[in-house]
Amino acid sequence: MSAQLRRARIRLMFIFLLVCLGFFTLLARLYYWQVLQSQSGYKLAQRADTEHIKNLTLDAPRGLIYDIQGKLLATNVLRDDVYIEPLQFTLDHPDAAQGELEELITTLHQVLPKESVEKLHLAFASGQYTARIAIGIDPSQSEQLRTLQLPDVFLVPRTWRIYPGGSLAAQILGFVTQNDSNNRGNYGIEGMYDALLKGKPGSLTAVRDLQGYPLDVGSINEQPPISGANLTLTIDNTVEYMVSAALADTVKNLQAESGTVVVINAHTGAVVAMAGAPTFDPNHYGQYATQQGCLGSEGVFFNPALYCAYEPGSTMKMVTMAAALDQRLITPDTTLNDTGCMTFTDAPIVCNWQYMAYGTESMTQVLIHSANVGAAHVAHDILGANRYYPYLSRFGFGQPTGIDGPEEAGIYLSPNNQNWTISDLTRQAFGQSILATPIQVAMAYEVIANGGVMMYPYLVSKINADGKVVTAHPKIERRVISADAAKLLTEMLTQAAQLGSAKPAQIPGYSVAAKTGTATTQGISADQTEASVVGFIPASNPQFVILVKIDHPRKAIYGSTAAAPLWKTIAQQLMWYYAVPPDQAH
Amino acid sequence: MMIRNKDQNSGKKHHGGQEMPKQPILAAKRRRQLHPFFFRIGPAALSICSVLLIGLMAVLYLSQLGQAVTANQQIQQFHRQQASLQRENQDLSYTIAQEESPTYIAEHAKSLGLVPADSKAVTILVVPHLLPIQIGQSK
Repeated sequence: MSAQLRRARIRLMFIFLLVCLGFFTLLARLYYWQVLQSQSGYKLAQRADTEHIKNLTLDAPRGLIYDIQGKLLATNVLRDDVYIEPLQFTLDHPDAAQGELEELITTLHQVLPKESVEKLHLAFASGQYTARIAIGIDPSQSEQLRTLQLPDVFLVPRTWRIYPGGSLAAQILGFVTQNDSNNRGNYGIEGMYDALLKGKPGSLTAVRDLQGYPLDVGSINEQPPISGANLTLTIDNTVEYMVSAALADTVKNLQAESGTVVVINAHTGAVVAMAGAPTFDPNHYGQYATQQGCLGSEGVFFNPALYCAYEPGSTMKMVTMAAALDQRLITPDTTLNDTGCMTFTDAPIVCNWQYMAYGTESMTQVLIHSANVGAAHVAHDILGANRYYPYLSRFGFGQPTGIDGPEEAGIYLSPNNQNWTISDLTRQAFGQSILATPIQVAMAYEVIANGGVMMYPYLVSKINADGKVVTAHPKIERRVISADAAKLLTEMLTQAAQLGSAKPAQIPGYSVAAKTGTATTQGISADQTEASVVGFIPASNPQFVILVKIDHPRKAIYGSTAAAPLWKTIAQQLMWYYAVPPDQAH
Repeated sequence: MMIRNKDQNSGKKHHGGQEMPKQPILAAKRRRQLHPFFFRIGPAALSICSVLLIGLMAVLYLSQLGQAVTANQQIQQFHRQQASLQRENQDLSYTIAQEESPTYIAEHAKSLGLVPADSKAVTILVVPHLLPIQIGQSK
């Protein structure tokens, strides 16, 4: 082989090796990008997937809330948030950006007058990819923006919880805090049943097209969302409105600090209406964050009927009488000598209001006169602690009622407590030294109205979870007193309403069994009262138990003058609305 | 046929070393003739057929894909329409609920000049032995 041929072969071999090296380099690079950087490092496979695969979270629609008549109390609507693309706008308009920007901002401000021009300027100057300039705009504004097709402005729909009745039943319903990531029920039914109402979000993984829409061809992994359960409450929208409006008027007219009304079905324990004043609008709950209810002890979002514990005052005399009647220790005609004050060897003196002496009075008259002496005498001299406290417990004081939703248990001192004295017994007999919530007091009267049987109070009558309907049926909690004792007590309360301080609660044509209460709090002025009336109507066949409580009224401070007129208004409206026939000639 | 070819290939010398004339052309021709089915087809024809077949399949595939994309667009359109209708339905339900709300009715009544009825002006007639209607049934 000639030297020339050998050199040629070497050159060829060299070129071949270079080509091979090139190929090996390319292969190595290919291996680097396709294998090594595919799952780790730059995670190219993942980045490629994000380019063309869309993962969507499918929001589960929050369950709706209805009243007993099927009227919507809480629903959902879609409202648009408005976004702009400041960076893209700058890139799209590199030369004449200022003029175009002014025009765009002016148009946006015309459509969204709440958004100031300065705020819009700041948003466009932020240099961000996207900036949200308005939240939950009106449908008409959305339509205008869609028609205008403004550059670098887009709408993103968002589900909003909305309450068609505004502040109606707000403290029963609660509200939903709406964040970008999570909607959460707070207070009331929204808080209590949050897990049921919010349902379960679904997911969708699919290849997407150029516009970003998921393609329905190819592999799709779809987990459909499970809608939240729909709840039907025992509340009647119309009664709730009537009660709320009347309460708000009374609180305003009496210049009171706050007030509470509870209306309960006497036979089932279902809550027909429950209102508090002041209240709030759950559509704009943020505006009420600092507002206080329940004499400044709780935020306005808390339901005062379940949270606002108070000293029930004379309305508790019914419980004292019930305990003694049930144990056959007294009859309505049992008498005592009421000299206006009564001294005890082991407890402080107890006096009637304004030291009024009634002489020989029957137990019925004790209720008619609302005599503290008579109640203390029954508790101290006739019942004694051993026979009195079991009844406080059986009437449900000091323990939650079990209603749907968080509530206060109330409190009272009993002989089991180290700080208890016999003075607590004599005072508890007429409603002092005990804290009870309005719902507890109303349920105590429900016992009498229902023949001695306590029902569980409830607010939710039906739950419809994905087609499975669960209906709440009235449940007996326990028998508290005998039917005979309940009947006797009904007669006593009817007379107390006819002849006593609850006279202003009388309604023509209907028999009323009711008792007033005027409680004062130790340490504050005696005219700072909590005026209340509790009772049921018609007394001959009770349909509703109604409690009215007015806190610190100024223009009239007693249960008979501050609360009884409202009780009458509510009771009368209920009788007419439910077409309950009168049971008395008048 | 194979035996015959074998005979032809193996029988190079016959009758006392006399060399037989070679017949490579026919053998090669016959070898090249492939019979995929029941008919004979040449390599060129096979290539053309393959290209045509692949082309046809590509056209069919593209056609199917096009139809799928069109269908997908239609589905997307329906989804958007459905979402829009759902939104409209929600808005209408809300409007109905709002206008059925006692608060709205009372405000509307007030704006029309109506005032609450005076309860004292109501006369109650007592019908003996008439029982109350059970609440929760009918009004």
